[in-house]
Formats: sequence, structure tokens, C-alpha cells
Amino acid sequence: MKFSVAKEKLLEGLQQVQNVVSTRTTLPILSNVLLQANGNEIHLTTTDLDVGVRGSCEADVEKEGATTLPARRLFNIVRELPSSEIQIDVDGKNAASIRSGQSFFKILGLPEEEFPPLPKFEEAKVVTIRQKDLRDGLRKTSYAISTDETRYVLNGVLFSFKNNKLTLVATDGRRLAMLEIELEFPRSHEADIIVPTKAITELQRLLTDDGDVKVSMGNGQIAFDLNKTFLVSKLIEGNYPNYRQVIPSEAKERVKLERETFLNALRRVSLLASDKSNSIKLNFSKNNIDITANTPEVGEAKESLAVQYKGRDFSIAFNPEFLMAPLRALTEDEVFLDLIDEMSPGVLKIQTPFLYVLMPMRISS
Amino acid sequence: MDKKCAQLWQRLAAALKPQISADSFNRWFSAVELVEATEKSLTLRVPNNIYQFWIESNYITALQNAIVSALGSPRAVKFASPSGTSGQTPLEDLPVLKEISPEPSAGAKTSASVLGLNPRNTFESFVVGPNNEIAHAAALAVAQAPARTYNPLFIYGGVGLGKTHLMQAIGQYVWAKNKNVKVMYLSSELFINEFIDAIQHSNLVKFRKRYRQADLLLIDDIQFLGGKERSQEEFFHTFNTLFDGHKQIVLSCDRPASEIANLEHRLVSRFEWGLTAELQPPDIETRLAILRKKARTMQIKLGDDIFQFLASRIRTNVRRLEGALMRVASFASLSGKELTQEVIEHLLKDILQEEGRHSITIEQIQRRVAEHFDVRIADMTSKRRPASIAFPRQVAMYLARELTKASLNEIGDAFGGRDHGTVLHACKLVKKRMAEQDNIRQTISFIDSSLQR
Repeated sequence: MKFSVAKEKLLEGLQQVQNVVSTRTTLPILSNVLLQANGNEIHLTTTDLDVGVRGSCEADVEKEGATTLPARRLFNIVRELPSSEIQIDVDGKNAASIRSGQSFFKILGLPEEEFPPLPKFEEAKVVTIRQKDLRDGLRKTSYAISTDETRYVLNGVLFSFKNNKLTLVATDGRRLAMLEIELEFPRSHEADIIVPTKAITELQRLLTDDGDVKVSMGNGQIAFDLNKTFLVSKLIEGNYPNYRQVIPSEAKERVKLERETFLNALRRVSLLASDKSNSIKLNFSKNNIDITANTPEVGEAKESLAVQYKGRDFSIAFNPEFLMAPLRALTEDEVFLDLIDEMSPGVLKIQTPFLYVLMPMRISS
Repeated sequence: MDKKCAQLWQRLAAALKPQISADSFNRWFSAVELVEATEKSLTLRVPNNIYQFWIESNYITALQNAIVSALGSPRAVKFASPSGTSGQTPLEDLPVLKEISPEPSAGAKTSASVLGLNPRNTFESFVVGPNNEIAHAAALAVAQAPARTYNPLFIYGGVGLGKTHLMQAIGQYVWAKNKNVKVMYLSSELFINEFIDAIQHSNLVKFRKRYRQADLLLIDDIQFLGGKERSQEEFFHTFNTLFDGHKQIVLSCDRPASEIANLEHRLVSRFEWGLTAELQPPDIETRLAILRKKARTMQIKLGDDIFQFLASRIRTNVRRLEGALMRVASFASLSGKELTQEVIEHLLKDILQEEGRHSITIEQIQRRVAEHFDVRIADMTSKRRPASIAFPRQVAMYLARELTKASLNEIGDAFGGRDHGTVLHACKLVKKRMAEQDNIRQTISFIDSSLQR
């Protein structure tokens, strides 16, 4: 195999795939990237057997072929190379000679045959989603994924395909984010699947604002075909909890808030929320919210926001980080906060089908 | 829900209601049933796992408060899902250890045997008796909630009593529950060897990283660390890193931590920090249960009298007990002869002899003590009484008193016709000195255990 390639192109291609490579792996082949030179393209593939990613970059292929090379090492070398043009020549023993300007490297690889092939999706159910929609949807939900490994069904995002809607859900038991995307697909394609966190992180890296993504599901696996790049992942086995149970039926009070103003105020006040009691209080009174934080022996903070509010006076406490996370992820100018009382969950909504349920914290009087 | 539970639940609900909003109560607790109430725990049946997640995350404090006010003392809260309902995840049938079999498709998932764990050593296959109840309960508690309950867990006991079995059971339980947990099981000898290797090739950093990334560190036969100073120091730091990172550590040893020779005090005190659990030789009922269970798993059919015979004759060591069972079973299936007591006695001649030796005689004690203190065996019975001889003699008398059924008079006779008062005095003196001086206690317990082996 022999080809020459522009440094930036190769670097970009490697960047797309190299995060999948695990640092501590039992199988040496899994720390390698599979390089396949065909036509005028190099295909780059990595996998940790749970998640696999394939990308490509343009190249002048002199001799077609395939090999695998240590991904991290190759990436580090390519990044440091001085010239913009790189030639890679791989001999029959999978030793790659890398030339660029005055630099020469030789790194040893492993044969292509040892690389585990990505699963095939022949009889899979295929649904097409606009990349922009999915990217937006994951951005607005994925921060609520649980990191508690004992609740492994929550270590991912639920993709629920039902009634011509894709519902994305993430929760960690204290908060829940849900978003719906309108979509057309046949009845037979209805399914509830859980995509693990790692695949979600990588997918978010690959999604762009243009074009569609073809989602294929089958056999405990899912594939996202993004035209130039391709990601497959195992699904989390098990049933996602009945998340609808969490969503409060009706709200007593609703306030409209300017997202950025609210977020900035929260950020400032949270500076005085201590690690221990980590909570901030929202005190509602007529047309006003006082946001307060108070840490004994440290100090206190207070910020007032003028809002349209005509309900009763009351206070509710939240974990500031949990309240700020959706505000950061959202892009809308206005958000609505629905509340029942100081012990019931608050719900954050926007004009489009999205909601975020957040449990309040106990107010110690 | 039986009547008692129903009443209890009503009291709990009444105590719970004022603490949370009505909507939350209706949403999360109206469908909950109390199915089991014991002195230690309450089991709640929930319609599906979201109830468990949400109650655990948000209402557990309120629930505990309610329990305390209704029952007077806290209880552990467990969750169960309705049997046969779909919509439950494997998460909820936790107490059942899932079968560990290497998954055919995945090279990424290491199987239990790759971790160095024997798949046969699980909690299911462990026979619990009064001799090992505490150790078993502690191990199970650790496996169910690593680093939350007892950290470190220190298991000690003689040869073949199940130390390794319990440790591996913890490892497999934790690993089966969550494949992402990094479980490390090794003997202290391997740890030392790898440490030496790391020094030789000067890659200590890698060595440290390897051990300090473990989520669950199981070290078998920790007594071999004794006298290895630098290994001890390295282990000390590993221990601290893991402990501070809230990672579970489980250690096993053939003697209590304080009796490991040449072990630094800071390590001893750390080993005794968490829970220390002793494994004792099984009583006859437990031995019978072990034999029956083993026979069932190996699908051996033997008469009750044979089980009885084996259990009554082999007392000290479970491994030996199982070996004897194997031998009898294979003899039966190979020769096809009827198994009579004589046949078995002949078959197990060596084992039984070995066991028989464990009825310790005064002569054995005298010989062993004389050997240890480097005095002549004749000094044990002589009338001479310089301190260098008198004290070993007193130790021997004390051990004779502890380890044999001989009366004071008989012991006195065996030590050159001494008075029973002399023996009594010797026992008292040795006990006193053992309480006062650590090294004497260690010496004596060492002789004691070497005699019993």
C-alpha cells in the first residue's frame, strides 16, 4: 500500500476516529486504526468492539491495500510533521514508512486480517433523520445521562421511535431531559433502543448541520451512516424505565424567563453555593424572583430578576449545576419554568417539544 | 401484602405523607407495597424500575425518617419488582448472581477466568455454617455495595476453609453485576514479584498505575508481605490511594493481621481498620452440608452413612474433605464395588492418618516447644529450673492444657511428676505474659498453629 495525502486531511480523518481507541485494552489490535486505500480515498476505521467509527480522507493512492497502525502514535506523528504533504508506504510486513519533508518515520503495524470487522446491517430497519435535528436533540438531552454504572440502563440516551416521532430521553434519577423530533417511518420500524454514552459522545462529534443521517437498527446494534462517516455501536440491553411517570401532570405556576439572563444570574449566585449543601434558592414574589445562595461561614449571594409572575409567594431550592445544564444546552431566547410547590419537581420547557424535569432540594429552614 | 406488612405500611405512609408533597406521594408511593419486613430490612415491591431509581435518588431520606419515626430504628430498604412483569430490567433481580460465561461474540469483555477467578467459586457454591456466617455475610455485603460498608475487609482462617472462595465470590459477584468495574484478584506473592520486576525494569509508574486504577482489589495470602519492607511500603501507598478513592479492598490471611511477623504497624492498623472476619473449621453439620452440596454439583450418589463417615473423620480442612469425596466417588464409579466402611478406610488411609494426627499428644507439644526454644526434650521433664528452661516448660504446659483433654494431674505427670498446682501456676503465668507482651503471644500462637496443622 502506498499513498500520499495532505497533512490537514489525514489529521482531520484521524481526529474523527481516534477517540474510540481505548487506552487500556487487552487486545493490541484495538489500539490500531485500520487504513484502507481504495480509488482516491483512504478509509480509516477504529473500534473498541462496543463502538466503531469509520471515516475517510482524500488521497493520491499509488498502490491500493490495507493495514493497521497504532492510532495514537500515528496521530501524534502526523500532528507534528513539518510539511503539508505526507507519503506513507506500507510493506508486506505491515511496517509503514512515513515521509514528510525532511522527516522520516517507520512504525510497525499489524495485519489487516486481525482487525475485527464492523458488523453488517443487511436486514436492518432504516430511518432517515436530518443531521441538524439529531445533533440539536442530543445536545439538549445528553447532559442528563446517568454516570452511575450500577444503573446501566440509564447510561445512555433512549431513542424511542413511535407514532411518527423520535423521542430522545436521558435521566439520572434526579432530572430528566426529553425531546421529540417529528419523523416519518413505517409502523414496523417502531422501537425503543438505548444508545450508550460513548456512542452518543462520538456521534455528537461527527454530526454536522447539513445532510441526513441514516439510522439502521437490528440485532442489538445501531449504525449511523452520515454519508462521509459511519458509526456503529452496541445497544444497552434492558428496558428503559417508564420515564413518563416522572413528568408532573399539571403546573400551578408558570414563569417566562430570558434564558441568558437567567443563566448568568444563576452562574453568579452559584459561586456562593457550597459544595456540601450545593443548592440555590429561588424565591418567588409578585413580578420578581430572588435567587439566593448561602453558605454558613462563607457568605451569601442574592440576585433579583424582574419577571411576569402573579402567583403566590414561595421558595424552591435546586442544585445549581442541574438547573444550569439545560440552560447552557438550549439555544432559544425564552424558556418557561413550570412549578407546583416547593416539594414537587420543576419543569423547564421551550416552544418546541422539549422538557426538563428537575427534582427540588430540601429547604432546610 | 400480608396483614402485618399492610399495617406497617400504613404507619409508614402516615409518617411519610407530611414530608413530601401529596402529588409526589400519590405518584411514587401509592403503588408501592411492603412485601417483607425483618429486623434489619424492609423490602418494597415497586411496579417497575423507575420507581426504584426515583425513590432511591429523591425520597430515601424522607423514607428513612418515616421508618425511624414509625419503627424506632433505621432499616435497610430493598426493592423488588413484581414477578413475571415485563418492563423490569436485570438490575432488579440483583441478589441472584448471574451465570458467568464468556460471551462468544466479544473479545472485549474479559471472562471471569481471565480475571484469575475460578468460576466455581461463587456465593451460591459456598456452604454457610456457624463457623463462617460472619465472614460470608460481610463478604456478601461488600459485594453488594463495594466500598460502602466494610473497607477493607480482612478475612482470615486456616488452610482450606474458604478464604479464597469468598474473595473470588466477591470478585465475580461485582463483576457480573457490572462489567465495567475493574476487578483485580491476585496473591500477595504475585504482587511482590511484579513489584520486583517493576524495580528491575524501572517501570514503577506503570506498576503503580496498574494497581491504583482498580475499583476492587482482592489480595490473597497477604501474610507473605511479612518481612518484605519495600513491597510493604509500595502496598501501603497503593492501599491508601485506593482507600481514599473509595475503592473496595479485600484481603485474606492465614492469621490475624497483628500476628503477621515483620509487618509494619501502620499496615497492621490499616488492615484492622475495616472489618476483620474469621473463618473457623466447620462443625459436623456444616461438613455434611458441604459434602452433600459438592456431591450434587458433581452428580455423585453416595449413601448417607458414607457422608456421615467422611464428615465425622475429616474435620479440619474443607479442601481435604472434598478431595476425599472425590476419591471415594471415583473409586466407586471405576471399580463398581460396593462401598463399605472398610473399603473407604483403606482408600483414605493416608488422609485419615493425617487427620488422626490432629489429636495432639503432650509428647508432640513437648517436642515442638523444645525444638522452638532450642532446649533438650529431656529438660521438659527434668527438675532443673533456670529461666531458659522453666519458661519453655511452662509454655508447653499451657499448650497441653489448651490443646489436649488431659487433666492438670495428667499434665503434671507428663512433665516429670509435677504437682497440679505447678501446672495451674504455669498456665496463669503464660496467659499473663501473653497479655502483656506481644512477642510472646505471637510465639505461642505460632507454635499453637504449627501443632494444629
